[in-house]
Amino acid sequence: MDTDSAVAQLLRRAGFGSTAAELDSASAAGYAATVDRIIADLSAPDDGADAVPAPVLGSAVAYHRRLVRARRAGDTATATEVRRKVSAGRRALIGGWLARMVASTRPVHEKLTFLLHGHFPTALSKVRYPDLMARQIQLFRTQGAGSFADLSQAVAIDPAMLVWLDAASDVAADPNENFARELMERFTMGIGTYREADVRAAAYCFTGWRIDPVRGGFEFDPALHSSVSQQVLGTAVTTGQEVVALVTSTPASHRYVPAALWSHLAYPVTPSDRVVDALAAAYAPALSMTDLLRAVFEHPAFLSDRAATGLVKQPVEWMAGALRSLGVAPDQVTAHQDSLLETLAMMGQVPCDPPSVGGWGQNDYWLSTSASLARWRAAHALAAAVDLSRLADAPASSRTDVLASVLGVVSWSATTADVLRRAGGDPALLVTLALVSPDYVTN
Amino acid sequence: MTGSSLVPVPSPDRPTSGLSRRRFLALAGGAGAVGVLGAALGPRAWEALFAGGAPTSGTLASGTAASGTRRLVLVTLYGGNDGLNTVVPSGDPAYTAARGGLGIDPSTLLPLGDGYGLHPAMPGFKRLWDARRLAVVHGVGFADPNFSHCQSMDIWQSGVTGTPGGTGWLGRWLDRTNASPLRALGIGPSVPLALTGARVQAATLPAGTIVLPGDSGEQALFARLAGTSRHEAVLAAVAARANADLLTCTRDIGGILTRTARDDPLRLPPSTTDSAGSLAIAAGGGGRSAPGVLATQLSLVANLVLAGAPTEVYSVELGGFDTHSDQAPTQKALLGELDTAVTAFIEALDHHPAGRETVVVVYTEFGRRVTGNASGGSDHGWANVVFVAGAPVRGGWFGEPPSLTSLSDGNLILTTDFRSVYATVLDRVLGVDPRPFLGGRFPTLALL
Repeated sequence: MDTDSAVAQLLRRAGFGSTAAELDSASAAGYAATVDRIIADLSAPDDGADAVPAPVLGSAVAYHRRLVRARRAGDTATATEVRRKVSAGRRALIGGWLARMVASTRPVHEKLTFLLHGHFPTALSKVRYPDLMARQIQLFRTQGAGSFADLSQAVAIDPAMLVWLDAASDVAADPNENFARELMERFTMGIGTYREADVRAAAYCFTGWRIDPVRGGFEFDPALHSSVSQQVLGTAVTTGQEVVALVTSTPASHRYVPAALWSHLAYPVTPSDRVVDALAAAYAPALSMTDLLRAVFEHPAFLSDRAATGLVKQPVEWMAGALRSLGVAPDQVTAHQDSLLETLAMMGQVPCDPPSVGGWGQNDYWLSTSASLARWRAAHALAAAVDLSRLADAPASSRTDVLASVLGVVSWSATTADVLRRAGGDPALLVTLALVSPDYVTN
Repeated sequence: MTGSSLVPVPSPDRPTSGLSRRRFLALAGGAGAVGVLGAALGPRAWEALFAGGAPTSGTLASGTAASGTRRLVLVTLYGGNDGLNTVVPSGDPAYTAARGGLGIDPSTLLPLGDGYGLHPAMPGFKRLWDARRLAVVHGVGFADPNFSHCQSMDIWQSGVTGTPGGTGWLGRWLDRTNASPLRALGIGPSVPLALTGARVQAATLPAGTIVLPGDSGEQALFARLAGTSRHEAVLAAVAARANADLLTCTRDIGGILTRTARDDPLRLPPSTTDSAGSLAIAAGGGGRSAPGVLATQLSLVANLVLAGAPTEVYSVELGGFDTHSDQAPTQKALLGELDTAVTAFIEALDHHPAGRETVVVVYTEFGRRVTGNASGGSDHGWANVVFVAGAPVRGGWFGEPPSLTSLSDGNLILTTDFRSVYATVLDRVLGVDPRPFLGGRFPTLALL
């Protein structure tokens, strides 16, 4: 893979697609220096995203209290008003996040945040209140690049997670197993690396974990906690924190977490894949996500043909990337958030609202005819709405090349190039066709 | 505000390699211009643009499906429905003993006879049962139970135990029988594994009409882009195929959808059907579908069946059954939706010859633990009931009821391999030899 292609792929995978200028400057710096810069970006603030005004989300505790009072008093007007505000807050949260992705000047932050959200899928459909969801997303944003063990501890006591996997209703007598199971299966170790008995035993350790009804934060109630020592993975443990520390430090987890990240940055693999060897070696010593990301970007297979053709853009990646490349301003993203969210819903991916504990699928999962229709309509609408005068000012014969550079595509496939040639230089038509082309939809 | 990232960064000089980017930047006004393509959106309202233009007229492919062809409607309940509180063995003293507070009050059940009662939120299913149009299959599941949602659902949808491959049991049928993506249709944003073949993937549609954007020129170029043959990368070829399938759907059923856009054959009150197109986050409950979504999906299916669409298999879904805590109100609401939508669907089809050949199968990834947990919920279990309903169905009990006292780790033990249900459907609904699609012979059930 030549430098331009390699750098273009790095910027796509480590972010949300590049502007022509970003791609140009990274190409000039070279691949290794661009990896260094992206890794350095992880420990620097994302000024672009941070300049997006924080959305108004309200407070779960206050909303909940008002709803309870209204219900008791039979005051349906207030209850309706609260529900309307909660619903508006949800849209503001998701629209605001999309605007951050578009505004980002160090996009690896929001990219990692988004991938971690997919790794710990938690949904507003059950969490309900947007401020709780926002707190969890903020955890990924502030702690995502650090130790995965620390992040897992923070996620375990995060109120949205406590609600989502029912930990907040866990009591000693008959603990429910939801969190204990998903912790091992999805978050840290992977299926087949533990036994049913481990899930049942671990569930006792999470008893007594509650949400403080006044502050809306985590609270531990010793009276509801089972203090009986449990055997989990052959180790005696009593507290939930011990379980999280245990499962994140297993050899299975040393391969599972790197395999999961690689699967969203290069191509899907299982933890036993040989490509994971080097990643696990870099990750295991400190469970550092920064070390892991560097190992991914520096792995020779990251620049293989398999990686180049190994992923379909997730709908959020597709949309954020298109908005960035077409120069749409972040305040325009929030102004039109309802349309954008409807489109994402039709494509099957509303951030903060994954369909189940299994989260979203991958690759073929995004290539349905429904998604194809939604993508086409969105591309058509975007192309008609953005100012394309600079594309129009280019000679008609060079517009296909110009478009490739705008969208961060190094070269078009023969089929797509042929179709774009037939578009007769019409700027909006060129943009529409490019955004729905298999070249752009796959990464 | 405008994000600073939108201002191109001055690029250091370097040897040019004929990169079009560089040329573009020069054309676009060079580094320092405000946004590559201009940061502001034009004055046209996005909402109007996203709403699309005039409906595209599609060609009605009526009569493509031979009359008398049976159709399958697969209803997937995501999350693991608690079958013990759906078809309740209230006549067994072990039920009350094991379930305690989680159990349903026997006096509220809708009696089915033989010591069983239906959940009180399911009066429509009771009506179907009394009309002998509802079959209940007991103890369905697969050996070596798996308590993971993802893997259990993968096994159910692939029809393969152990390590499921990447194709579904109906996807393999699509591969073998016909290359038309419209032979099976999923309603929703993504293709369920059950309908994914190695070569053919079922089409999916949102509930509503198909409104293609652009004029005929744009659509003609899109069609060229959808040509699959020249994309070498596998995923690019799949992406092209999805685009091509969209055009096939528009051509073959776009007209039906447009003509019937205002028809609701289910005739349900608006409150249960007005959520089409709304965000799923309007709902409540873990991964729970928005209220009315199932009715909207089935209304679309009914329109297609009644208009003679060529589709033989439809897939619809309802999510939110993972009731680890506070199960009673959630399950009641979801079973109510299932009951209302499926019953109205079957009764709507009853009035038409094409509709009377339709069979509905309702399944979920696993049942739940016999004893509830202390959160007012239940954890992942094993064997469960499957419903098969419709005019061609021979109503009644099928399969051996699992014991409530002889359990495996607290779970009901399977008595009916899930592939027996599939074998029955392949044989009696789709009219094919089930063996090639299921990798073996499984006894069929006499319910069809």
